[in-house]
Amino acid sequence: MNGVAMRPAQLWQSTPDALRKLDPRTLWRNPVMFIVEVGAVFTTVLAVTDPSFFAWLITVWLWLTVVFANLAEAVAEGRGKAQAAALRKAKQETVARRLVGWGTADVREEPVDAVQLKQGDIVVVEADQVIPGDGDVIEGIASVDESAITGESAPVIRESGGDRSSVTGGTKVLSDRIVVKITQRPGESFLDRMISLVEGAARQKTPNEIALNILLAALTIIFLLAVATLQPMAIFAKNYNAAAPDSLTINGDGVTGIVLVSLLVALIPTTIGALLSAIGIAGMDRLVQRNVLALSGRAVEAAGDVNTLLLDKTGTITLGNRQASEFIPVGGVTAAQVADAAQLSSLADETPEGRSVVVLAKNEYGLRARDEGVMPHAHFVPFTAETRMSGVDIDDRKIRKGRQRPS
Amino acid sequence: MGAVFVISLVVALAVAYRFVGDYMYRVVAGTKHSAVERVAYRLVGVNPSGEQTWGVYARSVLAFSAISILFLYAFTRVQDKLWLSLGFDPVTNHVAWNTAVSFVTNTNWQAYSGESTMGHLVQMAGLAVQNFVSASVGIAVAVALVRGFARSRTEQLGNFWVDLTRITIRILLPMAVLGAVVLMVGGVVQNLSGGTDVTTLTGGSQHITGGPVASQEVIKELGTNGGGFYNTNSAHPFENPTTWTNWFEIFLLLVIPFSLPRVFGRMVGQNRQGYAILAVMATLAIASIVLTNVFELAHNGTVPQAVGAAMEGKDVRFGVSNSATFAAATTLTSTGAVNSFHDSYTSLGGMMPMINMMLGEVAPGGVGAGLYGMLILAVLTVFVAGLMVGRTPEYIGKKIGAREIKFASLYFLITPALVLVGVAAAMATGNNSTALNVGPHGFSEVVYAFTSASNNNGSAFGGITVNTWWWDIALGLAMLLGRFLPIIMVLGLAGSLARQVPTPASAGTLPTHKPLFVGMVVGVVLILIALTFLPTLALGPLAEGLS
Repeated sequence: MNGVAMRPAQLWQSTPDALRKLDPRTLWRNPVMFIVEVGAVFTTVLAVTDPSFFAWLITVWLWLTVVFANLAEAVAEGRGKAQAAALRKAKQETVARRLVGWGTADVREEPVDAVQLKQGDIVVVEADQVIPGDGDVIEGIASVDESAITGESAPVIRESGGDRSSVTGGTKVLSDRIVVKITQRPGESFLDRMISLVEGAARQKTPNEIALNILLAALTIIFLLAVATLQPMAIFAKNYNAAAPDSLTINGDGVTGIVLVSLLVALIPTTIGALLSAIGIAGMDRLVQRNVLALSGRAVEAAGDVNTLLLDKTGTITLGNRQASEFIPVGGVTAAQVADAAQLSSLADETPEGRSVVVLAKNEYGLRARDEGVMPHAHFVPFTAETRMSGVDIDDRKIRKGRQRPS
Repeated sequence: MGAVFVISLVVALAVAYRFVGDYMYRVVAGTKHSAVERVAYRLVGVNPSGEQTWGVYARSVLAFSAISILFLYAFTRVQDKLWLSLGFDPVTNHVAWNTAVSFVTNTNWQAYSGESTMGHLVQMAGLAVQNFVSASVGIAVAVALVRGFARSRTEQLGNFWVDLTRITIRILLPMAVLGAVVLMVGGVVQNLSGGTDVTTLTGGSQHITGGPVASQEVIKELGTNGGGFYNTNSAHPFENPTTWTNWFEIFLLLVIPFSLPRVFGRMVGQNRQGYAILAVMATLAIASIVLTNVFELAHNGTVPQAVGAAMEGKDVRFGVSNSATFAAATTLTSTGAVNSFHDSYTSLGGMMPMINMMLGEVAPGGVGAGLYGMLILAVLTVFVAGLMVGRTPEYIGKKIGAREIKFASLYFLITPALVLVGVAAAMATGNNSTALNVGPHGFSEVVYAFTSASNNNGSAFGGITVNTWWWDIALGLAMLLGRFLPIIMVLGLAGSLARQVPTPASAGTLPTHKPLFVGMVVGVVLILIALTFLPTLALGPLAEGLS
């Protein structure tokens, strides 16, 4: 989701949506624009029955006002839709390895789209693969990068049985192999909820928006009255100045309908009314550009009312990709020695963290990756989720990296 | 001279702000009941220590006012059978309705001529009593709203009967007695005379009624009522004999409304909030007074230019400037007393009183009504400003949410709606034909009548006959709805504010005591009014003054 300015193409894409919003049944929720639309219909009728350049000019202008107001909202919603589409695409591109005949002697593996997974399906996931759906681990143990969901940057261990068996779709297995039983129903996964939030399907009005709508409605009523009551006053003024020639604006019957409607539209708070819903979504969009995901416009506004901020974890959308950035020697060793040892111990660690140590050692100290062929006596100890350790044994020399799992 | 007159008024009001404000604060916030008050509570059957929710408070206001209207209506209808009637007939039914509503709503629109319609008993026991209590009702409602800001986590807004009694007995009565003495010293009459017949300079015969004028005059100004003893109101030499009584009367009608922000500041515990509200009021008031003076002294128009000054409808005792200042002051408050005839002002000069009233009479406004009107506008301003910052707005620690805005915007909606609908109805039904003038000036006369009634001002532009059946009923309704619907909204707002837990001020809070905020409130007031009334003004005074 890159922060990009509005493109002309988006306007075109959103135009059908904007036109669809002209339906009075949806538009009446926005009283100000609804009145403009009623006025536009009224002037259209007048322009048809008594055509003049002026009448058509005003009519076209009013319709443009309504359509553009809707367009602003449609574009804002359209951007949400584009983001949702990106998420959905990510979901669809995940291929699950479904195990058919689990529990029998004849277990087959078949590839299916993640979206087609049903509750109760059994899938297998190996290192570097994305877990296709929410479920429970029924076999194996693995370290899983759940940072996309929880914000925890260090990988977590998921294993069958016990209270650490549940996994979430969209998270990534970093090591080992697990078999997962899908527990979610189609369309109810965490990812699906996120998509619906971004799409704005469940967009709620913020408290300020509700209050502002009330104020705008009150102002609209006042200005409606100011315009409606102008008619008898205008008739009086016209009759007093009977010598003044009739014009398109005013005649013996008072101000013409088209002029009254134009005055009304000019007075009522059209701009604010038209942009209200767009503002909320635009606020969310601005935050997305700064890598903050606001779940709703309401949340953006609530953020303004925050007095005290309590931090628990890092943000929600972080990449749990710990990278080595520096070797810091302690005691009497040199940095090069540290790098050498670190590299050796990480050669058998295929997690991103382990690989990054090897890359750093190569970049900083020119240490090339050595494999078993280069070092005849070496016996590599690969990283597993059980041991949480990796390392190498070269004759009597034992190098280990990691920490013992707390038991 | 005009400038000295205005500046001395500003100085006197500035001095009075703290004294009168602090005194009123002690009265409404005190807990002790005097002996007289306790007797009153026992007579009415009120428990003075019991407090009321906003609904009960509003019902008490409405019940008290309804009974007052019925009493006053009956009183004027049977006055010929009572004492001191001076032989006047009972008041006709539509004038009695109009008068009863008018005095109970603190409007004092007079569809009759005082000295030839009302006997002394009605003047003293009917009209003057309402001059006191209708003013007290206004202050009581304002105090209830301020309690909404000051209190938290409660449904209680105080006790209407206690507020009414205290404000009448401890604030209005003593100040009225002092003021009346000063006015009598200045030459205002105070007797029970049925009048004397005199031979005028031209040799004709004239009947001049005396009466308890000073006592009525003082509360007419102090309570921003405006209902004069005489038809010509404060232009009558018995009501307002000299330039300095003129000054004193303007001072009286401004002193309570201008001191009430002090009560607000004291009650919410931040005097600077009171000063901010005062600054908004003062800015609008001074601008209005200066403009009225400028328009009148410039004396545009055929006749004023021919005679060298806009003296038509003004008394030589006061002159152009002091009359213009009185006109501005009486319409900036909801007084509606007049010492000159607004109908005869230059077109733009005559527009200023109209604009003053259209502002909703908030600078400084009627006693109490001005403060609650201004606080509502401050709430709206905080809300608009809060949206720009992007957080839930708060004023004096109270959040302005949907419920608060509902009450505030309904409050704001009512009066312009009454004015516009009233004027349109008069024009559409042809009832504007009772206006003396045709064209824009005749139109202004109609607009002024409805603006004055709906805003509970009560001053008359004049030049229009309004004691017809239609006008009495229509203006009566405008006064009634223009007074009590807003009061219900104010009390509703107070109720929902009092319930809230105060939000502590933070870096994101809009400071509501800084010049920026004062400027914003002034802007909101002017823009809203301009958008609402510009078409109407354009057809009336602007069309006349700019052509």
